[in-house]
Amino acid sequence: MSNEIDFDEILSKYRSDPFDYVDVCATHTGVVRFKVAEGDSVEAPGGEWLQVPGTALYEITRERNPKRITAQTNGVVSLVRSELEGRFVEAGEKLITIRHPLKKKEIIENILKEVLYLFRAPERAKYFFALDVQSRIEKKGARAVTVEPGEEVLTMSLMKRDTPIYYSGERGVIHSVYFRPGVSVSQGEPLLGVCAPEKLPLIQKIITRVKADWDSE
Amino acid sequence: MPAITLTSGDIRRQCRHELALRSRSGSAAGAEEILRYGAFVGSAVECHSFLDRAMDYSRAHIAAMEKAGRSVHNGTVILADCLGASKGRFDRVWHAPAGGLWGCLIHANTLLTRSRGLISLAVGVACCEAVREMGAEAQVRWVNDVLVHGRKVAGFLIEGFISPCFREEYNLIGFGININNSHFPPDLRGTAIALAEALGHPLDLNLFARTFLTKLSFNLGLLYFEEERELRDEEGSAGRGGHRLLQNWRQLSDTIGRRVVYGLDVLQKPQYRAVVEGISDTGGIALRLDDGHEKTEYCGEIRYL
Repeated sequence: MSNEIDFDEILSKYRSDPFDYVDVCATHTGVVRFKVAEGDSVEAPGGEWLQVPGTALYEITRERNPKRITAQTNGVVSLVRSELEGRFVEAGEKLITIRHPLKKKEIIENILKEVLYLFRAPERAKYFFALDVQSRIEKKGARAVTVEPGEEVLTMSLMKRDTPIYYSGERGVIHSVYFRPGVSVSQGEPLLGVCAPEKLPLIQKIITRVKADWDSE
Repeated sequence: MPAITLTSGDIRRQCRHELALRSRSGSAAGAEEILRYGAFVGSAVECHSFLDRAMDYSRAHIAAMEKAGRSVHNGTVILADCLGASKGRFDRVWHAPAGGLWGCLIHANTLLTRSRGLISLAVGVACCEAVREMGAEAQVRWVNDVLVHGRKVAGFLIEGFISPCFREEYNLIGFGININNSHFPPDLRGTAIALAEALGHPLDLNLFARTFLTKLSFNLGLLYFEEERELRDEEGSAGRGGHRLLQNWRQLSDTIGRRVVYGLDVLQKPQYRAVVEGISDTGGIALRLDDGHEKTEYCGEIRYL
């Protein structure tokens, strides 16, 4: 966690380029066929249960088994590695970049992610708070709940197998919750943003400053 | 003296019977090797007259063994005639009086991530096979509920556990199977059933226990067997008609094609209605929602409509 934040520099960076550049990588090995071109607009999944898939980005075929990969974020395609069309790629190979326009709330979260300790998902699964943590949150609110290293903080649920997840970062309060109960979180995505209690004023300062300086939503 | 008196030797002997059974039914391909992979099930068996929770006891047992500088036997089975504080998923109560098969299997997690996701299915298949072998017409409802006459005869709870001293990862596979227990709390009477009630006669609890644990030995062994084939065989399981456990699950389940309600906790918070299209190669359930879109879920539960 950093104590020093150059607000002017960070805000000017977001003013000049208020976008996230989201790289889309090969989910596994296989032969790739692109479904979008540079400049195309793409949509994220929609619907009440996120049942409406996002825009198809590429198809990857392994063992005669084609799989269509769809966008998880909205934006405009800024890069397509067209030299890979019809070629075999390794898992993790960067294929596409999507330029995602940031909202004020996302800019705040992005800045906070540089300040908070991010506790990440160990596996793609659904997560919910451990019963004890949940009852403390219900009584006092998440930002009044302190978590300690080694504490059982979450339950990871996958195929009816529930695994307790123990917090492994610095002691601190739960400032940001990045998951929703019942919605899958990919491996490596942040679940919680935690900060030391003495850093809460700094966090509040960031939020106030961005809200004041940023006009649009 | 506990009413249930199972030993490791009983399970080993039952495994020989299982091998002969599978040979007769024509599903013997690799059965001996699969049972060898699953031979850890019942490597040690503890029988108790009473425990509060077999899962809690298992955690304490692992911790105590490690404190003494030892490791717990992979595949240890903890059984109790009745449980005083058993529970299901979330905060659901599980009624566990004398007459049922209640317990926990301690599995040292040596499976790859993909196979680990199939443990839940393996447990349901094992129980369904055991119930059918007793003569009842049973089906599996995704993920692993075993139903007889549309009522639940068994429930499972699988929890991960990191041991406190050696930081070993375990899967604690809790099982509760209604065998000869005849009384259910009022709110469960319409949805739960005991095997004895379904068959019209009481069963030998020890016979059922060793049958179930042997089937579990086979189906968990199958996860290791398929994993080894997958790693060795460039064609992969997709080229061979899919994972054998999933093939077996499909044969025993009546879920595919059913109209269902889905939810993470479907009793408290049902989310949406859909028709089950199939099961994915990682065990997820493919659901066709009323708006025509398809969604695959990897956790949560369903109820038939």
